[in-house]
Amino acid sequence: MDLVGQLQRQFVDYTTSLTREGFLDDQFKQLQKLQDESNPEFVVEVVSLFFEDSEKLLNDLASAFQQKIVDYKKVDAHVHQFKGSSSSIGAQRVKNVCVAFKTYCEARNFEGCSICLQSLEQEYHLVKSKLETLFKLEQQIMAAGGSVPEL
Amino acid sequence: MASQLKRVCKRISDFCNSCERNQSPSGSRRTFHRDVEPEEFQYASSHCLSSYYSVFVVRLAIMVMLAILIGLLTLLTWHFTRVYTAKSLENLAFALRYELLQRPILRMWNILNSTVEITTAQVKLSEVVIRRYSKPVDQAQQVELYEVMRDVTWALFASRRALNAITINYRNGFVQAFHRDHRSNNTFYIYSDLVNYSISGAYDTNNLSSRGGWSDQSIHNNTTASWYREPLDPATGERIGKPRKIPPDELINIAGISQVPDGAASWHVAVSKYTDSPLLSVALPVWDDANGSIVAVVGVTTALYSVGRLMKELVEFHSGHIYLTSQEGWLLATSTNAPLLMNSTTEPKLMRPTNSEDPVIRMGAELLMRQFGNKFPPNHEVHVENARLGHQLYYIDSFFLDLKRLPMVGVIIIPRKYVMGKVDERAFKTLVILISAASCILVIGCICIFILTNGVSKEMKLRAELISHLDARRKAEASSNYKSQFLANMSHELRTPMAAVMGLLDILMCDDYLTNEQFATITQIRKCSTALLRLLNNILDLSKVESGKLVLEESEFDLGRELEGLVDMFSVQCINHNVETVLDLSDDMPRLVQGDSARLVQIFANLISNSIKFTTSGYIVLRGWCEKPNTCSNTRKFPHNGKESWNTHKRNLKQYARHENKVILWFEVDDTGCGIDPSKWESVFESFEQADPSTTRTHGGTGLGLCIVRTLVNKMGGEIKVVKKNGPGTLMQLYMHLSTPADTIGKHCQLKFTEHNLMVLLALNGRMGRLIMSQWLQKNDVFTWEASEWNELTQILQEIFQAKSYAEPRESSKVECLSKQKGKDSIFLVVVDIGLLDLNTDIWREQLNFLNKYSGKAMFAWILNHDTSNTVKLELRSKGHLLMVNRPLYKSKMMQILEAVVKEKNVELQQKLNASKTTTKEEGDLHVCLEMDPIRYDAASSDDSDKSPSACPSQSDTVNNCLDSNFTPNDQNHTRSNFCENSKSLELSCCSSKVVNGQKSLEGLRILLAEDTPVLQRVATIMLQKLGASVVVVGDGMQAVDALSALENDSARNETKIGECPLYDLILMDCQMPKMDGYEATKAIRKSELETRSHIPIVALTAHAMSSDEAKCLEVGMDAYLTKPIDCKLMVSTILSLTRRNAKPLLEAT
Repeated sequence: MDLVGQLQRQFVDYTTSLTREGFLDDQFKQLQKLQDESNPEFVVEVVSLFFEDSEKLLNDLASAFQQKIVDYKKVDAHVHQFKGSSSSIGAQRVKNVCVAFKTYCEARNFEGCSICLQSLEQEYHLVKSKLETLFKLEQQIMAAGGSVPEL
Repeated sequence: MASQLKRVCKRISDFCNSCERNQSPSGSRRTFHRDVEPEEFQYASSHCLSSYYSVFVVRLAIMVMLAILIGLLTLLTWHFTRVYTAKSLENLAFALRYELLQRPILRMWNILNSTVEITTAQVKLSEVVIRRYSKPVDQAQQVELYEVMRDVTWALFASRRALNAITINYRNGFVQAFHRDHRSNNTFYIYSDLVNYSISGAYDTNNLSSRGGWSDQSIHNNTTASWYREPLDPATGERIGKPRKIPPDELINIAGISQVPDGAASWHVAVSKYTDSPLLSVALPVWDDANGSIVAVVGVTTALYSVGRLMKELVEFHSGHIYLTSQEGWLLATSTNAPLLMNSTTEPKLMRPTNSEDPVIRMGAELLMRQFGNKFPPNHEVHVENARLGHQLYYIDSFFLDLKRLPMVGVIIIPRKYVMGKVDERAFKTLVILISAASCILVIGCICIFILTNGVSKEMKLRAELISHLDARRKAEASSNYKSQFLANMSHELRTPMAAVMGLLDILMCDDYLTNEQFATITQIRKCSTALLRLLNNILDLSKVESGKLVLEESEFDLGRELEGLVDMFSVQCINHNVETVLDLSDDMPRLVQGDSARLVQIFANLISNSIKFTTSGYIVLRGWCEKPNTCSNTRKFPHNGKESWNTHKRNLKQYARHENKVILWFEVDDTGCGIDPSKWESVFESFEQADPSTTRTHGGTGLGLCIVRTLVNKMGGEIKVVKKNGPGTLMQLYMHLSTPADTIGKHCQLKFTEHNLMVLLALNGRMGRLIMSQWLQKNDVFTWEASEWNELTQILQEIFQAKSYAEPRESSKVECLSKQKGKDSIFLVVVDIGLLDLNTDIWREQLNFLNKYSGKAMFAWILNHDTSNTVKLELRSKGHLLMVNRPLYKSKMMQILEAVVKEKNVELQQKLNASKTTTKEEGDLHVCLEMDPIRYDAASSDDSDKSPSACPSQSDTVNNCLDSNFTPNDQNHTRSNFCENSKSLELSCCSSKVVNGQKSLEGLRILLAEDTPVLQRVATIMLQKLGASVVVVGDGMQAVDALSALENDSARNETKIGECPLYDLILMDCQMPKMDGYEATKAIRKSELETRSHIPIVALTAHAMSSDEAKCLEVGMDAYLTKPIDCKLMVSTILSLTRRNAKPLLEAT
């Protein structure tokens, strides 16, 4: 019981810290709210979807920048999609990078785009690790027999 | 000289350059103050430097060329003036010198000649005389001979005064001589003593063969012979003194036989003790004809001093020196007084010119000696020019006089100064003048060049500056562009969180657990954020306009409705201000126009809110009228005398108005506020400009509103202006070009009220509104009365009804009409402002009761305030007053009222028996109320201005109250959703109520979700499912279209089902998708819908947030627009509004 409480507190703290640091925003909370008995794994499902999608997009982007002539239109489409998906799960910082990326892309600024791509990867991996930690915590709570606290 | 000039030029240009260099740093420093990047300056300054350098080179080149030119000119001038003169003068001088020398030589020649002549004459005479006495017999005869000879000789001697001496030396040694001493002017006769000479000896002609007898010895050795000298009278030859014995040969040279060895004349130059000049002596023999022997020798001596005198005279006149020498080099004559003979101890001797005492002659002779020595040229002619003797330059010329016996050389030494002195002087002066003139010209030229090139360099400098300015301007423009861009982006980015803030506040406000204080605070925050948002919107608009991104929509809209909605909205604000808002649109205004309704409304919203800000009491009138391009004569009178000022515009408009279906709409916003100072009439339209900065504190504002208005009006092809107004306040006039749909031009549905015999009593508070309304009604043949307060109203009512037969009407015509109409079925309408009732106390109930008395005879329409309490409304309704409209009253409302009245009257008349009165009335009521609703939302959409939150709920209350009893819940929902659509405040309250009602607000809806991003797909699906909707997900646009067409096919198969349940109530469409994006998909769907005449609502989902995307979405046929991330509430409200609208016809159908 003690363990569960501790874990729960840890979970709450972690989530708030994520929000405070801007990794996640309200959208993520909304996702959590959407999760209920009918689809208990909703958040994890969505987020893993996001991970898959993002990996694919990042690969696409990286390969697009490998080309001699960068197809900005394509890149723009990818970034746009990335922005949509990241904003949907509430990965705020990823989204922000996407916004900047899009601007550079419209301006056909290669350097800016490269920098953005790098930071995008960085942010993505950051948020990914954070979220994984979060889910791990959640699992631990579940395993300990507690319930994930409402935020 | 030229090089010197060059050096001077260089010096000057160096100096100039240094000056410029001194100036240039200050210039660059000055330019540094401007806000341009320094590199550019470095570039510019280096550019300047190079330009300076090139200018310097050009200057130098021009100066050098000038110097060369001037130098050449000077040289040429000098050459021509100097050399030619010199040459001709030289020639002249040569001739002169020749001439000069010729004359003494000629004199010499003359002297020689005359001497020869005398000698010859003497010889001839002697011959004659001697022949006569050839045979002297005795001494006496001999003596006689000598006497005769003496006389003859004297005659000859006397005839020639120049002669120095004539001597006759007989063979026998007798000597006769006349001698003239020029110095003492004495003449002497010299003879030898006859005693010593034997006659015999003398006459021994036989011995003549031996010439030895004629030896000089006979004379010279005959020292024993005694000679006598006796002075003679020079004129007569008389003896005047005694003869004195003298030693022979002491005085004169006696020509002896030795001098005539060959019998020809002989010449030589001799010297004598008694003359200081050389003597020319000639000797001729006297021949005896008989035996051909020489009997005597005649010698003539001439002094050469006359030549010297001539020379002196010449030299006196011409200056210079002349001397003559014999060929041997002995000096014969000079032009000076220097002695010609050397006084040696024994006897005087001839001297050479090199020994002359005269320095010039000596030096000249020395020079000649040095140069030529003894090797004179063959003709002895020498010309030496510019011989330096002492300190002067001389011409030295020698001429050779080739006399047979006595060749002579003449030398003339003339100082150069004499001949060329003036010329040299002139030449020098000319040179000096030339040089000074040339240098002056050069200096002036250089200065001119400097000045001219200075201008050029200045120009270059200016040009360089201009270039840098251009660059700077380009940069500034670019940065301003960036700024606009940045502003647009920024305000957009700011708007998003603002929306969130406001949404959250709205949620908070719906919370039931707030204390009053909290609620008040939140309300306050809500207000502030609204203001902030508006400011952001303004900035966004402005920056959009500035960056040229503002694109006006072109869609059809109901102009009147938009404006009515606007006025409705503002009247709410105005109530607190005690300001009346009146809309006055003329009847000829087209109902439908093409244009950007939102922008149009924004214009008027800005103008009106501006007016409200500055108007504390009175009214704000929005007038509008139409000017048809083909009827230029404006039938409508201008309310104010602004007509002239607009004439110029009109002329332009005529051209513009050629386009079909274009109308010029004129508007006026007239208020009774504080007014604007005429000097600020132009500047108020500038951005961030306010008429009176001090008012900012009282009224607030950024000064952006009017600027936006003007740019918008300009964009619509119009203009806005502040126009002079008679009363206090401001009058803004504007016109704009809008096109109207072809079919609606001039077609303005108008109810013909005349046939219904309408009579209206306007009991309204607002003076202006009442006035305008009654004017309009009268124009439409409706009789009106006006009342501004309760007492007036009652009075008029009483006059009309209670004392209709005898009462004194105010206007006889009215009474007549009234009586006429009374005969028919006239309708009497009383429009009462709720404000006329005394609501503060309970008197209003009595007043209502009073009015109730007339309820049978007249219809009542009530103008309600927004805050009219429910009790009043209930009371009114219970009294049967069912026609209620909110303030303000404008034409369309009035028209609706009239229509309702007419309809009711008709219904009343026809179905008096059957129909229940209340239902009909309520229907009418419902009708009126429902008509009003969409307006409200339009108004709210076009500007988010401070619609006071307190007003809104009450408004919806009003409506709800009206509707409560009549509507099914579905309908209620519909109304609500109508409200919710765009007015957030309302919408959120609605939504919150929904949430309270239950989570499943989308129960039963079937939604097709087209979204490619799996994450979003999932999220949206869950979200919608949670709300109770059933969701079908497709991955792209193509699938969506397919799904729909499959549905259609399905529906074709089992047609019966369609009516009840179409497969999808709504599509959520992502805009950017692979294969087929949202826009394309929508287009395809809409195209296919054309056949089935159905309309499925499509809501765009996009991560774009620019309103241009919104425009694009709507353009392709989507109905609404949601941004990612999906806001649940917003989505619900949007979906509801769209589905209900669709559901309504279905419901009605069932």
